[in-house]
Amino acid sequence: MAAKSIDDTKRFATMVAAKQGWELNPDADFVGSLIEGLTVNWNRYGYFLCPCRDSDGSREADASVICPCAYARDDVAERGHCFCALYLRAGYAAAGGVPGGIPDRRFS
Amino acid sequence: MLETLSYIAVDGPRKVPVITVYALSTCGFCKRAMTFLQTNGFAYRYIHMDAIPIEVKNEAKRALKDIYKADVAFPFATVGAKDYLVGFIEADWKRTLGV
Repeated sequence: MAAKSIDDTKRFATMVAAKQGWELNPDADFVGSLIEGLTVNWNRYGYFLCPCRDSDGSREADASVICPCAYARDDVAERGHCFCALYLRAGYAAAGGVPGGIPDRRFS
Repeated sequence: MLETLSYIAVDGPRKVPVITVYALSTCGFCKRAMTFLQTNGFAYRYIHMDAIPIEVKNEAKRALKDIYKADVAFPFATVGAKDYLVGFIEADWKRTLGV
């Protein structure tokens, strides 16, 4: 599987946000570290494992936490951003929202 | 088994409480949490759980869950003998650490 670059991952995240009607977190440093983390995870596992979740050892076991994760839609709608805070609800940041840690919906 | 893991120590003037951070090298909130500790002068130790063999990581997660009766998400910090913090919710960290 071809390695991905930071630019590849940026394109992926930008495309996901556009498709879902979300926005990328405007905090460039924070997003930069997440994009880097996603890139590391692709090149490590072969898929975009959420940078804030650990792998259970296989694509099948990790399926619900491959970006965009299965919990992102509900977290973005209800909390304003996904678990790792890469994706924000449209208008959340403009309204003054600042992403912080939220409970992992996998455990709720 | 948690004491058999290889932690990286970060020094700081505030040595109490003893803080251990279980983190992922890829996680933005893990970085934020450790920056928070350094900004507030806490000494701590950390381990990147994605950088150790999965069977060791899983055993460590089981040990943490047994001790703290909590699901392990990252960052997971143990504070002193009994307290823990899961995720980086800054208000919780401030309250628990008395900042």
